[in-house]
Amino acid sequence: MEAKGLFNVARKEFIGHLTSKKFIVILALFLIISALAMHQGMDYYNNRLENYKEQLSQIKEVEGMEPGYMPEKPTIMLVFMFMSSHIMLLGAILAIAMGFDLVSKEKETKSLKSLLSCPVFRDEIINGKALGGTLALVFAMVTALLISLAILLIFSIVPSMNELAAILVFGIVSIVFLLAYFAIALMMSTVSGDSGSALIYTLVIFFILGSLLPIVGHTVAGMVAGEPPERPAFEFDIRDETKESEEEMQQYQEEVRVYWEKQRRITDAFNIISPNMNYMTISLLISNPQIYSAVYGQSSSSMTSTGYFTGGGEEAPGLQEVLGKVWKNILALIIFSVVFFAIAYVKFMRMDIR
Amino acid sequence: MIRTENLTKVYNGNKAVDGLNLEIAEGDIFGFLGPNGAGKSTTILMLVGMIEPTEGKCIINDIEVARNPLKVKGIIGYLPEDVGFYGNMTAEQNLDYFARFYAAMDANERKKRIEELLELVQLDGVSQKVGGYSRGMNQRLGLAQALLNDPEVLFLDEPTANLDPEGVFQYRELTKQLSDEGKTIFISSHILAEVSKVCNTIGIISKGTLIARGTLEELKNELGRAGTENLRIIVEAVEPLPEITHEDIISAEYSEDKRKVIIEAKSDLRDYISSELFEKGVKIKEMRMEEPTLEDVFLSVYRR
Repeated sequence: MEAKGLFNVARKEFIGHLTSKKFIVILALFLIISALAMHQGMDYYNNRLENYKEQLSQIKEVEGMEPGYMPEKPTIMLVFMFMSSHIMLLGAILAIAMGFDLVSKEKETKSLKSLLSCPVFRDEIINGKALGGTLALVFAMVTALLISLAILLIFSIVPSMNELAAILVFGIVSIVFLLAYFAIALMMSTVSGDSGSALIYTLVIFFILGSLLPIVGHTVAGMVAGEPPERPAFEFDIRDETKESEEEMQQYQEEVRVYWEKQRRITDAFNIISPNMNYMTISLLISNPQIYSAVYGQSSSSMTSTGYFTGGGEEAPGLQEVLGKVWKNILALIIFSVVFFAIAYVKFMRMDIR
Repeated sequence: MIRTENLTKVYNGNKAVDGLNLEIAEGDIFGFLGPNGAGKSTTILMLVGMIEPTEGKCIINDIEVARNPLKVKGIIGYLPEDVGFYGNMTAEQNLDYFARFYAAMDANERKKRIEELLELVQLDGVSQKVGGYSRGMNQRLGLAQALLNDPEVLFLDEPTANLDPEGVFQYRELTKQLSDEGKTIFISSHILAEVSKVCNTIGIISKGTLIARGTLEELKNELGRAGTENLRIIVEAVEPLPEITHEDIISAEYSEDKRKVIIEAKSDLRDYISSELFEKGVKIKEMRMEEPTLEDVFLSVYRR
């Protein structure tokens, strides 16, 4: 394959995206909302930091505190938790807007014939379009991350090396998520007769994968798992605790565990084919590693007043450990992009040019 | 030189082009005629390497197109019937994008060539983006794009479809100039008059098959005669004409004042008619035999 044609197409596509009005408008909206979300996240982070400091001072004041218990210092990655929800919506819309007419518009304006009359292979064209779009998405994500870092510095927060690594991973995962929708849009642009149909079909897929599938998964899980086990009918009295009631309680707890495990397996099976759910899982664990204990750990978990999990004072897992747990979700996102790019590639190569 | 050998293209079981054998010599301006759906565009698309033949092959300057499409695209120029460009770019930006695919052109050469071509098609100094172009301007830009690489062989599909008279005139001049430079030009057109003015050889395709080929004169003689067995002789005189009789005359249609007659005959009777009228002292104003036009030839072939 001649790389010259590929890079020429990619270069033109990259410049075309960056100078197109729709890209500029959606990117501007995305950056503004991300910056606002960052600001919101900063407030949340500062509150958590205040709590942490209060807890520390209480530990120092209270005598006889159990040795070894230390509250977990909040990470600045919490700020990015707020950003991820906007990436999931506006970022996906940006990716769809970039991809839905990449091929269909060329067919409509007849520029594809002019392009194919030049000495360039078809695969260079489709790969160049994919590469140009990917670079534009990387540009958008890097810009968003640089703005977020600037906001952190404005608030006099300097990320540690570990946090910088987590931000980098967050950025990469976000790009892979955006690529999944870009690939879907590109595929629809290749198979659809016109850009209007391509956009509608892509939005339908976006809705199905992003909203409908998780709801269906949850409903199916509820139907398959049935009613939750009933709590044993006895009144718990610490003065009259019998061995029988203790065994009954243990059995109940085991049944509850099995019940929720079954539900989780079914919802996971649905969620793994939803880019949104995969991205949510990954970004949540990267941005709030303490949730790791609540979701995967054996210890008791708790939910804060703001609705976020915290892991009852356990040490937060490292980035590597978190990545080890969400590798399936990352792989699913990558497979999504690859499969849809592959369909677009094959369809474009076989496209009838008349 | 362009050559096709048993060129066949099948779409969904239907033969769009059926065993086409063509040979166009270097420097020829070849007119490719045919009604809609005859297989003209499919033939051109196979010749320029955009679609692969089901059977047979296309050879351009000794290079087989299907085997070396990029090599062929490097030496040909192609103006599609419905040419299109990137509306968000200027003419210069569009041409620069396409020119970058040609390995032989560096940045300076590209710039120089693009300036020359835009001047040639009279789009120099037009700063607006191509999205705001008229169809004629688009067509002229298409011609410039087809000439980007100074091609040895040029394929033009309905090149004058959207051009104004001035544009048509320039196109004719340019075609002749390119032919004089030794370039082979393949023109597909519905505008028969245009083909007759520009092309030195013509091929007629119907239902995917080449049914006639030759110079305009050869086609007129062969197909015109074959299509209409009878000849039409028109005679105009200063005074009323006497009745002309001959065994080869099929019909004679006189005007009201008898000063004009249109004779349909089996043979060329001009000598006989002039002698007859001379003997009877009738002064002839005009006498001519109506020759079949390219349109007559074209229609007679298709109506068979």
